[in-house]
Amino acid sequence: MTVTAPRPTTRDDLVIVDVDVHVNDTPEALAPYVDAPYRRVLDHISTLPRRYLDIPGYALRLAIDLPLPDRGAGARSVHTAQQMREDLDALAVDVGILFPDHLLTMAALPDDVYAAALGRAYNAWLAEEWVSRADGLYGAVVAVPQDPEDAAREIRRYGALDEFVGVYLPTAGVNPLWGNSRYTPIFEAAAEMGLPVMLHSVGLIHAAFPFNVEQFRTILFRHPIQHEFALMANMFSMLESAIPARFPDLRIVFTEGGISWVPFTMWRLDKEYHEYRSMAPLLEHPPSHYIRKFYFSTQPIEEPERPQDLVTMLDMFDGADQVLFASDWPHHDFDHPRQVLNMPFPADVKRKIMGENALALFGIDAPVRAG
Amino acid sequence: MARISAGPADALAPGERTFVKHRNFEIGVFNVNGNFRAYRNRCPHQLGPACEGAISGTLMGSADTDWQLEWVLDGRVLLCPWHQVEFDLDTGERIRGLGERLRSYTVEVDDGELYVVV
Ligand code: FES
Repeated sequence: MTVTAPRPTTRDDLVIVDVDVHVNDTPEALAPYVDAPYRRVLDHISTLPRRYLDIPGYALRLAIDLPLPDRGAGARSVHTAQQMREDLDALAVDVGILFPDHLLTMAALPDDVYAAALGRAYNAWLAEEWVSRADGLYGAVVAVPQDPEDAAREIRRYGALDEFVGVYLPTAGVNPLWGNSRYTPIFEAAAEMGLPVMLHSVGLIHAAFPFNVEQFRTILFRHPIQHEFALMANMFSMLESAIPARFPDLRIVFTEGGISWVPFTMWRLDKEYHEYRSMAPLLEHPPSHYIRKFYFSTQPIEEPERPQDLVTMLDMFDGADQVLFASDWPHHDFDHPRQVLNMPFPADVKRKIMGENALALFGIDAPVRAG
Repeated sequence: MARISAGPADALAPGERTFVKHRNFEIGVFNVNGNFRAYRNRCPHQLGPACEGAISGTLMGSADTDWQLEWVLDGRVLLCPWHQVEFDLDTGERIRGLGERLRSYTVEVDDGELYVVV
């Protein structure tokens, strides 16, 4: 733990819900939960040399950046629920929604049977070792895109537990995009269980959208494309197949893209919709109508030179009820809650963004604090 | 209130249109499946000559069709020639839009003659 900042001064007025924190899902952690014969496979993978979020046959990540000394060596990870609770306490976070580390890239695994087995092992491991209402740690059931029928079963199974409050849709490397009709069982299950679906990408170089990112020499210029472009492509794909019209009660969350790309999507798609409405024959309204109802998590929150610009940005898409604080703890690019709290949003908007919106979205009771 | 003659009603068959001038703009007069409609020839999008566009139908689906596509409103969809925005010729409303509409006028039939009330 390298962050021990004092709690925000407004702490007493606020519940802080962090909708994106990461657990370190190593092969050795998941091995006891995976079906035979993959137990032996994970035992073996556990012995292979590895780099940060980069394990052969498990977490695919073509790491092509020029390695510089003294950078990234101390990549943080969270190994136990107790450690997560302590870390989140230090960040003044009351409630955390858990996402994986390594399975962020699982959509790129070519073996669908293996991918589904890993997904089941992850869900079982979360249920057994991580989620806890008392600790304010809640899970998102991973929906393995390679096996939508199995994913739907997993959603119904774990979604029945109070500690699972969402469905994680792996977004890096997903092919076809999430609007494809093969995923219908996943959206049906999520809607039936009343669980929001949460898209989350990661820095992956892979022959699925957004591809060709190996042309960038550095993560500096590649990283925003790997997140925001992936979210945008999947959002467009889901609008194209009218997911929000067909599943009007399904809540859809876009994580780790910040918020400044949102007005672009609304205005650009509405512009196209003038000309091509008949090509979106199942949308009952212009695209912006649906986008305004999507949810967006803050990290990586934009840090404009004029902080007021971020307030304007939020207003452009009526985001006060739709934006959710996220830190992305413990990843290299995490945001301290203070970064969002210090933005010049009105006090009521801050309370919504920092926690109230997420409590309502996920149906979580406000935690009762000791003292 | 003034009335502008748009010619004999029986000269305007279903699916056909004619234009009248009013001040410095035009009004399109349509026979929409037997009903007469009149709209200002100015699109609410970027002011294109909407009334000169193709008359067609369109694709749509909804919960009512179990999300199956249907070709609907045949002969009732006016496509603005500039950017193809679809208007329902029966009401002048943009189809599944944000509430935009063509400025509409009443059409009266008097002794076999069409009149646009402006
Ligand atoms: S001006 Fe009519 S569609 Fe653009």
